[in-house]
Amino acid sequence: MLHATTACLLIAGAAVSYFASTEKTMGDAQRILYLHVPMAWFGLIAFLVTAITGALYLRSREAEWDYWSQASAEVGWLCLTLTIVTGSIWAHAAWNTWWTWDPRLTTVFILWVINSGYLLLRGNMEDTLQSARFRAVVAIIGALDLPMIVMATRWFRGMHPVAPRMEPGMRVMLLISVAVFSVIFGILLVRRRGHLYLANRIALIKQETD
Amino acid sequence: MVQKDLVSELRTGLVWPPMCLFGLLVAAVFSFQMELLADQRIQIAGGLLWLATVFAGMLVLDRTFAAEREEGCWHAMKLYPVSATMIYFAKFAVNVITLAIIQLILIALFVFVADIPLFKHPWAMLSVAVLGNLGIASAGTILSALGLGIRGNSGLLSLLILAVVIPVVIAAAEATRLICTDDLGDMWRRWIHLLVVFVLVFISAGAALIDFIVEE
Repeated sequence: MLHATTACLLIAGAAVSYFASTEKTMGDAQRILYLHVPMAWFGLIAFLVTAITGALYLRSREAEWDYWSQASAEVGWLCLTLTIVTGSIWAHAAWNTWWTWDPRLTTVFILWVINSGYLLLRGNMEDTLQSARFRAVVAIIGALDLPMIVMATRWFRGMHPVAPRMEPGMRVMLLISVAVFSVIFGILLVRRRGHLYLANRIALIKQETD
Repeated sequence: MVQKDLVSELRTGLVWPPMCLFGLLVAAVFSFQMELLADQRIQIAGGLLWLATVFAGMLVLDRTFAAEREEGCWHAMKLYPVSATMIYFAKFAVNVITLAIIQLILIALFVFVADIPLFKHPWAMLSVAVLGNLGIASAGTILSALGLGIRGNSGLLSLLILAVVIPVVIAAAEATRLICTDDLGDMWRRWIHLLVVFVLVFISAGAALIDFIVEE
């Protein structure tokens, strides 16, 4: 899996650096879009997956759903963090500022805080089963809140580009980038779910031997 | 249950006095920092009012279930022949009453001391105040129930509550600003709709999800 991930990253890196055409006004800084857009999409999708699998856990009480929920939250947190970092770098080149309270930026920031709260909850609780239930509740509440955060922030005028026109070559490059990151996202998700499963098994064996 | 919580607060005075003082302090600090002309003050008064309300409210929301846990009352309470949903609504009602007290104090302060025309349209202001209150209380009550399992006082609850109620703060602040500037048009109605949707979604979610939090 490590080989597959490395190969994916190399393909994406080479394609973005050498084959994607350079944008007329932004120059090379525009290339960050090929990383920023997939990260933002996956950050959002991962949070929805966290909430859906959280709801499935509450319904079935099968630990499997909790592993998926937690793995998705962790991968999603990474994607959202990278979205904010890459967006900031782009913003510095395009707007001459690292951060502005634009509606989209604010939405992603709030989602990042809720996702961070979800991850912190685990370290702040002793009972594993209770922790799984509480995290599922937080994920559902966060997912319910998301459309309202989007609405509240969108009604202010923002400066973030919305679906800008791109030449066909750039569009293809963006699709390649999304495909590559889908594979990486999938690999990370599966691997992390495996880690959580094993960690839980070890904890159970330790409990039995004690 | 509502009566129990209110009587307990009236006898001990653990939450309301610090909450009121904290609300006053937040409002005072904000206004000291912003020596503005009357027109500019009106533009930002909505935001200040709702930020002071939500910060003071955090002190209350944080404590919604904490007293039950600390005093060992929680297990006795679960023996009541009522559903978890009823417990949610009782706690929600207490939070609504408590937030209304801080709102009354802050609104009076803004109107009479800072001369902000919040009552230019009294019914509109009343609806924003009620919806904002219900929004903060509904989301705050369900999230504060997580305190039943969280170790110590890590501040994590406050962080989660603040992040989730941000749409309410933005919508209520904007609706209040539009009231002060005499603009009860389309945009004002949109903010009110958002508040109504938030309140309905979070009351329903709270009533549905509380079962999963309180179960052993």
